[in-house]
Amino acid sequence: MLVAMSETLTTNEYTDDLRYEVFNREFMPHIDSMYNFAFRLTMDEDDANDLVQDTYLKAFRFISSFEQGTNAKAWLFRILKNSFINDYRKKSKEPSKVDYQEVETTYNSEEASDTTYTVDLRADAVQELIGDEVANALNALPVDFRTVIILCDIEGFTYEEMAKILDIPIGTVRSRLHRARNLLKEKLRSYASSMGYDS
Amino acid sequence: MNASSTTPSVTEVAQKQMKHTCEHHAECMKIIQAILDDEASEAEKDHFRENMDKCIPCIESYRLEKCIKDSLNNKIVKKPCPDSILNTIISKINS
Repeated sequence: MLVAMSETLTTNEYTDDLRYEVFNREFMPHIDSMYNFAFRLTMDEDDANDLVQDTYLKAFRFISSFEQGTNAKAWLFRILKNSFINDYRKKSKEPSKVDYQEVETTYNSEEASDTTYTVDLRADAVQELIGDEVANALNALPVDFRTVIILCDIEGFTYEEMAKILDIPIGTVRSRLHRARNLLKEKLRSYASSMGYDS
Repeated sequence: MNASSTTPSVTEVAQKQMKHTCEHHAECMKIIQAILDDEASEAEKDHFRENMDKCIPCIESYRLEKCIKDSLNNKIVKKPCPDSILNTIISKINS
């Protein structure tokens, strides 16, 4: 069944059979995660469908640049994220509220006030929230902040994998995640208090 | 547990008094998140072990951050990818 015999496959040369084999074995098991990622990025079922399809077709077409033995899930997520930025973000239905750079700069400049930054939210109040409320709070974040939380807390990627998926340094992963969580806490707090969970 | 630490801040709090305010809470928040993400350096882990049971704001923050992380992971519904997408992908790569 294995192919590594006559042809020396030290390079990424894929025979046709191997392309299908790798695709099925390495890529297909991640399709549910990919679909959920696409849906949380686009917030739209049709766009999510297209995005997942495009990503998988691209992955197949460029399969020779996938190194076997490396993390297929991270590789796929990176393609999906790039497709999202290039093809979907422009026509995204999300109101073009704040430019992301602007948000990050604002937060960076408030580094000093970070010291006193605490959100008045108790763990018990979070415990009471149901999945939809947590999802709504997450969805209310600007997409780049939403993305790091999805990758880290929902999909369980390491900081190093996130850095590769997002093409940013690990230090930026850390700080973006930190800010994303502060924003999320604010959203969660307003949910908690509107539900009357908070005293 | 082990008394081999050398940083002065640790010996200061060694009298086991619970702190009600944290003067470096922003720094602690970064450590707490790194711990929960399983990305903490050895130095951060040491700091965490030595201080976490003495500082009330940090204990509360740890509980909150953990609770949020767990909620994101467990409570948000993960949808299965629709079969139609799967079928389209398969038929397109086979054509």
